[in-house]
Amino acid sequence: MSRSTSWAAIAALVLLASADPARVARGQAIGPGFELERSGRYADAASVYFTTIRSDPTNIPALLGLERTLFVLSRMSELLPLVQTARARQPDSPALRSLELRVYAALNEPDSLEAITRRWAASAPQSDAPYREWGLALADRRMWDEARRAFLTGRQTLGGDGTLAIELAELEQRTGNWEASATEWGRAVTRSSDVEPNAASQLADAPAPMHDRVARALTAPGTSARARRLGAEVLLTWGRPNEAWAAMEPTLAPTDSETPAALRRFADLAGALTTPEGHRVRGLALARWADMAPRGGSSGARARAEAVRELLDGGDKVAARRVLETHSDSNGVAQAALIQLLIADGQLDLAEERLSAMSTAITADDRAALRLALATARIARGELDRATAALGDDSSVAATAQRGWIALYRGNLKGAMEAFRIAGPYATDRAAATDRTAMMALLQRVQGESSAELGAALLTLARGDSVAAITALRRAAAKLPEQGGRLEVLLLAGQVAAQKGGDQEPTAIALFDEIVRAGGEGAAPPAAELEWARMLVRDGRSAEAIPHLEHLILTYPNSAFVPEARRVLERAKGAIPKS
Amino acid sequence: MKRREFVKAVGRFGGLAVGARFVGFQTPNRPTAVPSLLIPMDDAQTDHLKAYGLTYKAIQAGLKSEWLLNYRGGSFLIPDLDSLRRDAALNGIRIEPVDSAMTTVRGEIEANNMDAVPLEKAPKVAVYAPPNAAPWDDAVTMALQYAGIPFTKIWDPEVMNGSLKDYDWLHLHHEDFTGQYSKFFLIYSGMAWLADMVQRNSDTARRLGFQNVPELKKAVARSIRAYVENGGFLFAMCTATETIDLALAAHNVDIAATFADGTPLDPDADAKLDWSQAFAFTGGHIETNPLVASFSDIDGHQVNGGARRQPLGAFTLFNFSAKIDPVPTMLVQNHRQVIPDFYGLTTSFTRNRLKPGVTILAEEEGAPWVKYIHGDLGKGTWTFFGGHDPEDPQHQIGDPATDLSLHPHSPGYRLILNNVLFPAAKKRELKT
Repeated sequence: MSRSTSWAAIAALVLLASADPARVARGQAIGPGFELERSGRYADAASVYFTTIRSDPTNIPALLGLERTLFVLSRMSELLPLVQTARARQPDSPALRSLELRVYAALNEPDSLEAITRRWAASAPQSDAPYREWGLALADRRMWDEARRAFLTGRQTLGGDGTLAIELAELEQRTGNWEASATEWGRAVTRSSDVEPNAASQLADAPAPMHDRVARALTAPGTSARARRLGAEVLLTWGRPNEAWAAMEPTLAPTDSETPAALRRFADLAGALTTPEGHRVRGLALARWADMAPRGGSSGARARAEAVRELLDGGDKVAARRVLETHSDSNGVAQAALIQLLIADGQLDLAEERLSAMSTAITADDRAALRLALATARIARGELDRATAALGDDSSVAATAQRGWIALYRGNLKGAMEAFRIAGPYATDRAAATDRTAMMALLQRVQGESSAELGAALLTLARGDSVAAITALRRAAAKLPEQGGRLEVLLLAGQVAAQKGGDQEPTAIALFDEIVRAGGEGAAPPAAELEWARMLVRDGRSAEAIPHLEHLILTYPNSAFVPEARRVLERAKGAIPKS
Repeated sequence: MKRREFVKAVGRFGGLAVGARFVGFQTPNRPTAVPSLLIPMDDAQTDHLKAYGLTYKAIQAGLKSEWLLNYRGGSFLIPDLDSLRRDAALNGIRIEPVDSAMTTVRGEIEANNMDAVPLEKAPKVAVYAPPNAAPWDDAVTMALQYAGIPFTKIWDPEVMNGSLKDYDWLHLHHEDFTGQYSKFFLIYSGMAWLADMVQRNSDTARRLGFQNVPELKKAVARSIRAYVENGGFLFAMCTATETIDLALAAHNVDIAATFADGTPLDPDADAKLDWSQAFAFTGGHIETNPLVASFSDIDGHQVNGGARRQPLGAFTLFNFSAKIDPVPTMLVQNHRQVIPDFYGLTTSFTRNRLKPGVTILAEEEGAPWVKYIHGDLGKGTWTFFGGHDPEDPQHQIGDPATDLSLHPHSPGYRLILNNVLFPAAKKRELKT
């Protein structure tokens, strides 16, 4: 059933509900008609509706029932005289007027539609309903050009840029003319801001190649603030936060009473984006919203703190610092963000100082997170004692895991293993947990309880000196038995060299070759062969990679690396797309 | 040629699938207990899609293979050779060595709605696609590539110079045989890929002596129809299904918008369509709006039809009698009976637009459309499967390609690969 018919049906139900008892009784008499209709017995249903109309010629539910059933039966011509009779009795009924229009449309008499509309409009000169129903009747018959003319006639007659804009917007969308649809939605929101959520949801479905045109139609110079905000919202939905903010920002006049709500909505929508740009733009919006919040209230301070965090997540330290520095009233969350900023900038002493000074204002969770960040930063400088001191007496699993790394770098393999075991596989984020698990797998193969060489080599790696780490790892491996950790440490060195690429590639190949030749029961040989093949594929030497992958799959059929080896093999053979 | 004899043997009367025994299907010569490898195709299989490639490889090498219809999801039986075991191991395909156990298996097949069909000849596969099309544009190409089944790409020049006769199986994907560039011309104007598509098609039309692209595509559609009439196997997906029928039905009328051929479409086009020339459909109405990327009311889902767009549901495969209707049974072999639907420019086929006699292989229960259909034409057969990519239900232009190694059990892709192996099935001797 068409949209206009549905509207009419809803209107009819409302009428039915508010009618007198006699009318309700008559309404109940057509109940069997609905049942018959539902079971597909349209002719029988129509008979019930006809019977009702004979005793009550203006019974709208029955007339609508006839509209539905006679259409299916291709007997619409029988309805016209009944509708005309009803309309003559109740000339002011919009439901009957629109029904009359639809019947003419169904009878394929579009010429009559305009005359009927004009008669209806003459009796209700301020109403846009005649033009709306006229246009919708034509649109339902997919007579797009004629429907557009009907709506535009209504707009011209009644005046107002936004008159019938929703109808025109939906019509243009149905015809695939997204740019025109956007223009009309812009007019519709300019007229009434209530339309915006619907407009944004409709325009979000525009095909990707039309996005630029839709955005231009809404944000071009001269468009209203509401239209620009609609454009900004749609751009956010399409994952283009920077452009969205560029569209939004010029509309943020503090004198506009709608600005705070629009900003809040924008910030909420930006929250759905996980990209750095999305975080940054959300931070910018929250900061502006916080500026508009009542002075002294907690909501502004909370929003500002959230803004700082978002700006940091978005990589915009400058903006984050600006927000913090211009507001001395910032709460503990904001102070925590500032300390985080100092750590990221390498001002560790200052960060440490602020952390101890603000320790009561900052929540326990934030304090623990900052301590961990400080410890990590200290490790990166090789300051193991100060890293331990930064952790203090924190007994959380995250701190335990961090102590494990510190023990490892000191060469205390047993202590590291123990700390990692206590921390378990879920402490901190997934990447850190994976790193710990991989290190535990390596340490399990090493039989000794300590190795100063290995600890030093791993610290060198943690500090980012890959080339020196490769040499140090090879040296440490040389002191371990072949099946007692040497291959695993060499594998790590090979992985680092492969990742480094360039002049380290021959080193990586030599290391992988040594491991594969050694073979044995551990995970290192298949892992080395997979890394080797990956490197070859990366270098465009897929043909050389294929024998390695086949060797891996056939030699170590139960290895956990086999599924990944198969994927790389598929890619090397061109059987799946490069991702 | 065996392919043609096979098609002849499985011809239909009055659109109904005809019993295999009636047309000469028999159980294969029962081998004695020779070492074989069973490729199970139920949930035990570790890579359903690659299993088709392994079977194809066995047939290609001239090895005796069988398709065990309805047995453990439509399993395959291939000889137990080291090379095949190696391929299975490399590709992660589960195989089960069987020898004496086959007697029990064959007993089970005999006693149930199952059958064993010998696979004899690896079909030569052609994929109709523009020369510059990436393999990832097309679900069939992706499936063939992933399974390791060789194929040749052909396009309009090859079709027009008669090369189709060199192939047993032809696949069409999202080609728009109405010559309107999938009606993206106005929506995607300015896009480099569209400009390239228009240029390439226009050049080809000129080179082959056609006034415009729609005329060229009509001629190509007619050649494809002739190929099927002469015994070819045609498999089409997405837009190709609907538009090849529109192009065939429109042999005497202009149904292309002005942007495609310089003239407006015939205002009375609907009435002038000659559906007797079409494979599957009848009585469709042309979508006349050049801005709407929809071709007619044959498609039930109208993905680009604005308010007419229908939501996706799930489609159910029909359960045919393996011994009586082996052809449709082969086409629906699967380890899933209900499969989530997926959009394409043509997603489904409205029931009331199907010609009488079309075999429905899969439908959405209670919906006015079906998903997967099959029929005969002359000595050949055609199969149409709606939608673009079974593992990317809302595929958009520019989306990343589907990586089938992440979908090795895809039931939708299995339906595609059933079609590739179906021409390999051997026609059995007619009883006298």
